[in-house]
Amino acid sequence: MPRLELYSPEGLRVDGRRWNELRRFECKINTHPNSSDGSSYVEQGNSKIICMVQGPMEPKLRSQMDVNKANIEVSISIAHFSTFHRKKRSKNEKRIVELKTAIENTFENSIISHLYPRTFIQINIQVLAQDGGLLAGMANAATLALIDAGIAMYDYVSCVSAGLYDQYPLLDLNTLEENDMSYLTIGVIGKSEKLALLMLENKMPLDKLEPVLGLAIAGGHRVRELMDEEVRSHGKHRSQRQ
Amino acid sequence: MPSDKKRLSSGLTVTSKVFVMSRNGSATKVVREHYLRDDIVCYSTACNKCAELIKENPDGQIPNIQLSDVPAKLQNERHYIVVDTNIVLSAIDLLENTECFYDVIIPQTVLDEVKNKSFPIYQRLRSLVKAEEKRFVVFHNEFHEGTYVTRKHGESMNDRNDRAIRKVVSWYDNHINHDNSIEKINLVFVCNDKDCRKKAEAEGIYTKSLVDYVEMLPKADYLRELVSNDNQTFTEFQNEAKYQEYYSEARIMAGVKNKSLFKGILNISRYNFLQGTVQVPDFKKPLLVVGTKNLNRAFNSDLVVVELLPQDKWRSPSSTIVEEGSIDDYDNPDDDDDGATASNGIIPDKERILLAQEATKAITLASSGNTDVEHKLQPTAKVVGVIRRSWRYYVGQIAPTSVSADDNGNASRACFVVLMDTVLPKIRIRTRRAKELLGKRIVISVDSWEATSKYPSGHFVRSLGDIESTEAETEALLLEHDVEYRPFATNVLNCLPKEGDKWKVPENLDNGDEQLKKRKDLRGELVCSIDPPNCVDIDDALHAKPLPNGNFQVGVHIADVTHFVKANTALDDEGASRGTSVYLVDRRIDMLPLLLGTNLCSLNPYIDRYAFSVIWEVDKDANIVSVEFTKSIIRSREAFSYEAAQKRIDDKSQNDELTKSMRILLNLSKKLKQKRLNNGALNLASPEVKVHMDSETSDPGEVEIKQLLETNSLVEEFMLFANISVARKIYDSYPQTAMLRRHAPPPASNFEQLNDMLSVRKNGMHISLENSKALADSLDNCIDPKDEYFNTLVRIMSTRCMMAAEYFPSGFFGYSDFKHYGLAVDIYTHFTSPIRRYCDIVVHRQLAGAIGYEDLAQSHRDKNKMEFIVKNINKRHRNAQFAGRASIEYYVGQVMKSNESIQEGYVIKCFNNGIVVLVPKFGIEGLIRLEDLGDTDSAIYDEDKFELHFNDLHKNKRTIGVFDKVKVEIKSIKDEISGKRKAQLILQ
Repeated sequence: MPRLELYSPEGLRVDGRRWNELRRFECKINTHPNSSDGSSYVEQGNSKIICMVQGPMEPKLRSQMDVNKANIEVSISIAHFSTFHRKKRSKNEKRIVELKTAIENTFENSIISHLYPRTFIQINIQVLAQDGGLLAGMANAATLALIDAGIAMYDYVSCVSAGLYDQYPLLDLNTLEENDMSYLTIGVIGKSEKLALLMLENKMPLDKLEPVLGLAIAGGHRVRELMDEEVRSHGKHRSQRQ
Repeated sequence: MPSDKKRLSSGLTVTSKVFVMSRNGSATKVVREHYLRDDIVCYSTACNKCAELIKENPDGQIPNIQLSDVPAKLQNERHYIVVDTNIVLSAIDLLENTECFYDVIIPQTVLDEVKNKSFPIYQRLRSLVKAEEKRFVVFHNEFHEGTYVTRKHGESMNDRNDRAIRKVVSWYDNHINHDNSIEKINLVFVCNDKDCRKKAEAEGIYTKSLVDYVEMLPKADYLRELVSNDNQTFTEFQNEAKYQEYYSEARIMAGVKNKSLFKGILNISRYNFLQGTVQVPDFKKPLLVVGTKNLNRAFNSDLVVVELLPQDKWRSPSSTIVEEGSIDDYDNPDDDDDGATASNGIIPDKERILLAQEATKAITLASSGNTDVEHKLQPTAKVVGVIRRSWRYYVGQIAPTSVSADDNGNASRACFVVLMDTVLPKIRIRTRRAKELLGKRIVISVDSWEATSKYPSGHFVRSLGDIESTEAETEALLLEHDVEYRPFATNVLNCLPKEGDKWKVPENLDNGDEQLKKRKDLRGELVCSIDPPNCVDIDDALHAKPLPNGNFQVGVHIADVTHFVKANTALDDEGASRGTSVYLVDRRIDMLPLLLGTNLCSLNPYIDRYAFSVIWEVDKDANIVSVEFTKSIIRSREAFSYEAAQKRIDDKSQNDELTKSMRILLNLSKKLKQKRLNNGALNLASPEVKVHMDSETSDPGEVEIKQLLETNSLVEEFMLFANISVARKIYDSYPQTAMLRRHAPPPASNFEQLNDMLSVRKNGMHISLENSKALADSLDNCIDPKDEYFNTLVRIMSTRCMMAAEYFPSGFFGYSDFKHYGLAVDIYTHFTSPIRRYCDIVVHRQLAGAIGYEDLAQSHRDKNKMEFIVKNINKRHRNAQFAGRASIEYYVGQVMKSNESIQEGYVIKCFNNGIVVLVPKFGIEGLIRLEDLGDTDSAIYDEDKFELHFNDLHKNKRTIGVFDKVKVEIKSIKDEISGKRKAQLILQ
């Protein structure tokens, strides 16, 4: 099998983007107003993710209660048909548990949780299709759903992945690219350069980390703009209706 | 299939590519995003529109606008060329030719199609684009809004791609010639597909077939010959043979999966070109493929798929020598199953699987050493498909008998080309200049081998010159061994320091250069170099001095090539692809440009040079106390030849510091060597000879066996010492990707035959294989008191049973497999010759990274990239060795012309119709056929005793066995068919 030209000498990637271009990013909020307190739908390229948030609510078990702050729990379910080859995944698969923990940690620090003591916030994420940037897509969906639920946050957490091919940093990888290079996923807080999330599972040379991170942060800001646009237009739409 | 398009805010349009992929027999629908854009530039300097569209790469570089604004004229009009896939695939040689094809546009569609069809051609095309010399550009039409086409309903993929390519032509035409370029530039679409041309013409595109296009060029006559015969078949030769058609791809894939067919590389026997073997992991023994019918058009080293033959066809490998003798039939004399093979096609898979199980059983039985017959029996197979052809350029000559003498016409005629490589068949080519090319070495390329044609067909590429002219022969052997010998391209030379040979080590070491500060100034040490006489690329130098505590300081200084050859430059790429310098008798093919190799890097005496130093503190018994690696600046005091150094050391009257330090070195080196031998390092031998050239006429003069002096081993020991220390260091820092070299212990089966021979012919002598120490000791014991040379002979033969040493990234094996068997060390690498080996360059970079001198390039930290590098340098290293040997062989042949004599030789192999004799004095080995020995009919071959009984030409009974010392007359003869000069041996 000849290798793919992941980044051609002419500067184009397998799907025709340049190194610093995002994939198509589309999002909606308040998609399931009747079944949840906040909901969202995110498409990042061909990755499609739904997120629903319940809460803040009374915890079902006493063990889930914290007198000082809200207890946040994430549950992830990945559809069997989300990849080209159908594959059953159990909820307790190690990889999924890891992703779940990463998202929980991210939002525990981004939600102003001391405002909601003795409560429980449940974030349900449903992955419908995956084509790279899974963690980024899930975290973006969660951000939007939390905003829709009206839960107080410090700022947007906007996520995007970036990888290193040869010596070139590439933004927002799809599956083909993810399979062939080392990459990281970051979550940027608002317009700052602070990170709420940084996940790097492969090796990346230290001297290349900086340009990759720089590119990812710029990409994160762009994602934030797109999400902000949707939130504002939705807000406008709602206020007109009332 | 197309889907709806969406425009994004960033100016891109997204659509999706949907296709069905089959994997493991099931179909999967794949959906991928596909972005279309309007900012892809046309790469033409004549264009005024695209300049503002250019976007830079992450490293800030912008693409080079290459297409000339005054391209070549075609019938008085300037033109750009757009090529179709079939042109690239069939005429890549022509595209690379410097006489034609400038300013070529390659649509991405073509590039992708080429990549899927043939990866090597794709790589050649890519390097053409990269070299920038012929102004080839890739236009990414699939990502351009204006040129992307969606597949229509019912349209085949091929038709869609053709349409996409035509769209590129009209887009370019429109783009350049509509209120843009000042001068009109025509676009010529070169395509060999008639239908596509017709459609193109209907769309108003100027199009030509390759032949028609070439005819229009100024040098048409010369170029015309180079066009491949792809579309004009040798109709007159159809149905002269009927090979079995290859199985369909689906059948092969299914067969390989359910283990009824087997995949492997075909390896044709050196001694019998009708017998090949395929090594398959499922069987311990290789599968035999015998006869042209079963070989079924496969070439040596093709990746083939084979099918087992029924058990009654299994046989032992033939012990007969068959060389491609005459022009006429050479079908296997013992190929008697013509009818039977034809009916094999109907045996169901189930039965074949059974057969495969049988074969495994038979082999296990045989290897456990049951009966004699089974011991020899090998499963046979036939080729049913070729997955990857090994076709490349071949060198050969036109067979004189295939050209009729009375033919004076100018029409092109078919004739045969006999290749230099004897394991390959003749190639049929068509040329007008057959007569002119007789007696010349020519390069041809193979195009196809139809099932109906007895011989493969190819086309002429170029002529190298007269047979036996030194130039033609040297070039031929370089081509045959795939050695890149063309001069360095300009973009490579541009990477050299701008000062050229004026480059100097800066005088002021404190000039703010951070890296320079990290260098150690060792100019005070008494460094000298010891090399072969007339050595111009000195890559190592040494120093030693006693320390106050009674220990010694020893330094090995290696040319700092990586200071000049930085990673990810054109120069580095070129070095990586050449892999090694190649040393021939009369010339040297450098890995790096001359300026570096013989000047800036070379550690010449009396001048400051950058070096990479390894400095040890060792005690009196040469045990390491400490070791330090550092980049340094040195000044060599003297460049000795081995002989001069030896003389200086031996000369008692010389007592200056430099001589003293050399004596220290010699002393330590002896201790190191003894230690190594105690550990079981092997002392193997090869019949190496050296050809002396007459310095004025550069005719080869005489042949001599290489002499070894103590100083040779002095240098060698310290180089080994340095290599081992460096290997440990880089493995420590880069456990996954350190570039190392290993030498696997030989498998017992390699020594089976030699041990059999020894025990039968030499009263139970035996080479034991438990470990290298045992092997070394048993080799020492193989002594024939009557014959001094016998021990060397056994060493030479053992060398051939050894595995080849290889480079590898450390992550590929466990630590216990790093062992270098021959040197008896647990870890080893090559560090000491960066001027002539690419491995050493990688090791230098890794060591520099390990000591924190500079960051290690990404490509040497990535396992996949390292694998790629390693594969290439292993191959190059092997080829360079073969080329070197072939060069010596050629010159020895030339020397023999005036030196025919009677010499002593040793029989090293016995067949039932001939013997192989090695003549140590000239390092040549030759086959003597039974016909030349005596009466063929009465000869008896005793397989168990490795003896051949025969009546010689004088009707005397004679018996000759392996290891016998014989007298042979050496003559130099020219083989009329292959045009090779060989030393022929005649038994006295």
